[in-house]
Amino acid sequence: MNTDNRKFVIIFFVVIVGLLYSMRLFYMQVVDESWVLRAQEIAEKRKEITPTRGIVFDRNNKQIVSNKVYYNLMFVEEKLMNFDTLAFAKMLGWKKEEVSARFQEIKEGEGSYYNKSTKKRTSNYMRSRAYPFLKELTLDEILKIAPFLDKFPGFYEEATSMRSYPFANGANILGYLSEVTGEEIKKDRFYKPANNIGRTGLEKFYEKQLRGIKGIRYVITSAMNDAIQSYAGGKYDTIAKPGANLTLGIDIGLQAYSEQLMQNKKGCIVAIEPSSGEILTFVSAPSFDPNLLIGKRNISANYPKLNKDPNLPLYPRPLASEYPPGSIFKLVQSLIGMQEGVITENSGFPCTKSMVGCHNHPMATDIPKAVQYSCNPYYYYVMKKIIQQGKKKNVFADAEEGLTKWVKYMNSFGLGVKMESDITGVKKGLIPGPKFYDKWYGYHNWQFSSIRSISIGQGEVKLTPLQMANIAAIIANRGWYYTPHFVKSIGGKGPMEAFKKKNYTMVNSKYYPSVIEGMRRVVNESGGTAASARLQDIVICGKTGTVQNPHGKDHSVFIAFAPKDNPKIAIAVFIENSGYGGTWAAPTASLVIEKFLKGKISNEGKEKRIMDAKLSNIENEKE
Amino acid sequence: MRENKSLTGRIDWFLVLLLVLLISFGLATLYSVAYNAEHPSIFDLSQLYGKQIMWLGISLFVGFIVYLIDSDIYKKFALPIYGFVLFLLVVVLFMPPVNGARAWLGIGPLGIQPAEFAKIAAALVLAKFISTVSLKTQNTRLVLIAFSIILGPMFLILLQPDAGTFVVFTSFLFVMYREGITFDPLILNVVNSFPNVKFKQTWVGTHFIPILFVVIILAIMTILSSRVFVVFPFLSSIEISGFIFILVALSVVGFFAFFLVQQFGSKRERSNTTFAVLLGYGLSLSVILTVHFGFSSLAPHQKERIEFFLGMREDPDGEDYNRNRAMAAVGSGGFSGKGYQNASVSSVRSNHVPESETDFIFCPFAEEWGFLGSLVLIVLYITILIRIIFIAERQRSVFNRVYAYCVAMIVFYHVGINIGMNIGFAPVIGIPLPFFSYGGSSMLSFTIMMFILLKLDSQRMDVLR
Repeated sequence: MNTDNRKFVIIFFVVIVGLLYSMRLFYMQVVDESWVLRAQEIAEKRKEITPTRGIVFDRNNKQIVSNKVYYNLMFVEEKLMNFDTLAFAKMLGWKKEEVSARFQEIKEGEGSYYNKSTKKRTSNYMRSRAYPFLKELTLDEILKIAPFLDKFPGFYEEATSMRSYPFANGANILGYLSEVTGEEIKKDRFYKPANNIGRTGLEKFYEKQLRGIKGIRYVITSAMNDAIQSYAGGKYDTIAKPGANLTLGIDIGLQAYSEQLMQNKKGCIVAIEPSSGEILTFVSAPSFDPNLLIGKRNISANYPKLNKDPNLPLYPRPLASEYPPGSIFKLVQSLIGMQEGVITENSGFPCTKSMVGCHNHPMATDIPKAVQYSCNPYYYYVMKKIIQQGKKKNVFADAEEGLTKWVKYMNSFGLGVKMESDITGVKKGLIPGPKFYDKWYGYHNWQFSSIRSISIGQGEVKLTPLQMANIAAIIANRGWYYTPHFVKSIGGKGPMEAFKKKNYTMVNSKYYPSVIEGMRRVVNESGGTAASARLQDIVICGKTGTVQNPHGKDHSVFIAFAPKDNPKIAIAVFIENSGYGGTWAAPTASLVIEKFLKGKISNEGKEKRIMDAKLSNIENEKE
Repeated sequence: MRENKSLTGRIDWFLVLLLVLLISFGLATLYSVAYNAEHPSIFDLSQLYGKQIMWLGISLFVGFIVYLIDSDIYKKFALPIYGFVLFLLVVVLFMPPVNGARAWLGIGPLGIQPAEFAKIAAALVLAKFISTVSLKTQNTRLVLIAFSIILGPMFLILLQPDAGTFVVFTSFLFVMYREGITFDPLILNVVNSFPNVKFKQTWVGTHFIPILFVVIILAIMTILSSRVFVVFPFLSSIEISGFIFILVALSVVGFFAFFLVQQFGSKRERSNTTFAVLLGYGLSLSVILTVHFGFSSLAPHQKERIEFFLGMREDPDGEDYNRNRAMAAVGSGGFSGKGYQNASVSSVRSNHVPESETDFIFCPFAEEWGFLGSLVLIVLYITILIRIIFIAERQRSVFNRVYAYCVAMIVFYHVGINIGMNIGFAPVIGIPLPFFSYGGSSMLSFTIMMFILLKLDSQRMDVLR
């Protein structure tokens, strides 16, 4: 049997294997991309360098938010050698079982991931990977451990950066950071698990500016997860860019002083620099120490307490609480009446107490007097003239047209619309329009007499304390305002564009002086309701309000600006359940104004009286 | 009658050139994969590349001595060599195990694996046996002796255990096939034991080995294609399943072969070759259909095992760790590779692919040089194989031819299985890539194997026909 031809069979096999392997290699290396991704997953790691978060200064360049170094106690299981659990527990002051439990917790917690589609928690714990055994230790805490770490190979310390607040003030302005949620990671690729994100306040609003730009380093990692060399000679690496620093309009000294004045009270103080719209002081009382919400440990210890506190310390009242404004509303009513031409500054109306209650005062024969005496019936007449202008025969249609116009005026004062300030959670208050009343009474089923209580800032009208302060700023400026904002400069480049634009009200500046004269008299002339706010050498122009409160004692409110000429500060003080505006809100405002303009207080008795006052039923925690 | 020509006179320089090229590639790859910046010298004996060069030196020295020995020695001493190696294979079983196998004789850097040399010994004895018997009349006894020559060392190697070398010994079946020793006498014994059956020869028995090979290749192809969808370049809207693609491809090949036979086949043989083509097509088709539907009907866990085996499934951190990382390294090489010393997955430092300097050295090569480099390497190996077969066929003596075929088939198996396990075509059984993988025994045994071949070839004219 001649088998020579069988050499062709063998050659055929050699060639066919070569061909098949070449085809397979072509498919794997050139066609199929998935192996490239797999290789990246295995060996080519993208290491992110987290930039330092921008820090925050007050208007006098005092650091009010900074970064402080904390320490994590890390471990790599694979590198643990002769680990003495008992000695380790002793070093930490723990029980032996607690150490084992913590290891178990890491394996099931950090060392695993939750698969949403299969709803299963799968372990991806790796003995060669570093996990934090203890997180967020302070320098003092790590110093107690660090000297003994030599005895426990596999354990080491790692520095991390967290927020720190040198002043324990302004918590509701600054907000706090907390760990990102899974959804946030999904939405924004910037974040990785265990990253922090601004949760409230300025930390939230300016998150993008504060967080900076992450640097990315591509490295080749070994199976032990060590970086062994940079990828492609660092060609694709980018440098981390630290977050922008913020400079606030806030005067932290004034803020601290204002918070002190508001101790044991519920309410707000908002002060604005009228010429810039920068918020000088923003007090929500009661508040809390921002240092209570730094890091996971503190947050889990303190947040539930703060959240459950019946006094709502976490609630940013100045922008989120909507109160009836009371008599301070009369200032705006006067201005709208004059602009509409239904009254002049010399119009007088009788104090018809049968219409609405009033106190005894001389008749208001012009606007300054009406403001000075805060005559309630006067503003019923004014409002009626604004609403029922008689342009339409049907009294209901006439009221609808009048109210529509009135709402537009109000909106131009930033009332009933959301002020786009640089903080989240701003409420717009309530300026009821025709639609609102149509719902209440039915279409064309209401007229002035139905809605007259809004004339004096009672009833349905609601403003936030921020809007109240802004009214003072508008009057101080004689008719315009910058949207009130906190940040005067982002990274040294000035505020956001939106805050560089003047907003004009629909009331001509020529109508303001008579109202201002009235406000001057409120504080500085006998018979004014805010004599308690009077200062020796500063002319404060203000207006008190006493807001009827169906649930309890009246709220005390006062808005003001000073000095009368070239005003430097506009302020609103709102103290819940404290009584007359002139009794509590007005003297409080005067103290803030004096502190800001003079730096010291002339009337220490007044200061002591306010600070010591316990108003507003602060509910104390039962110990 | 000996011609006193110079020692190098008749050496096959072409094969030598191909081998030098291959060894250079291997050293360059080892230098890249195991590069240590603190010991950059390629001759640094503390590093893998330094050691490999030392082993290369030792191998060349031994090879040179081998080349000086008259080729008659191998035929004469084939049996004693074989006996000595068998003895070593027994001795090695009493050695302390390394990595779970009792494969190493001696310790430390100078340890050797007798199994590597058992291949040479078996080749020599098989060559001697086949050259001394008449193959005109095939009988059961002859076939059984031939089988037992390779079964002896196979058994001892299985005890180590060393699955890779065990499998490599089946390469001798191809040599026997070439020489006409087949399973046919065994099959005839069975078939003819039925009453009224009297075959002189069975087709399946005669061509059992290539048929088995084809079946294995077709089966692997079919399973691999079961989860693949083929998308044609430029016609991305057309997507067909891999199974259909294989059927279509097979039919195209079948029609083409049929057409060739009709057009160019010699008239005398046309009916025979036509029948062979049709039979081949029918058999291939039935294998593909059987495997496809058989595989589909398997229980999921059985399917999973096969898919892991062929690297179709990802079990990144489980038992498929090595292969998954090896395939990621090869696959991420792309068309032209990541560049020399840029193997990010498979360098020894990164350690993602264990054994990337030995059994998985194809990984860093394919990762660094991409498809182009892989193709060059495959072409180089195929060229070497065909050259050895060419050398085998020009021998006058049967001994020389059988030995040369043994060398060719051993190298073929090593290359096929080694590269196959890097690309998901073969199971992960540790055998080195000839002249490429790091390792003293492998380098030494392949060098000796080649020098014996070169020596036999250089003296081929001395043999009387």
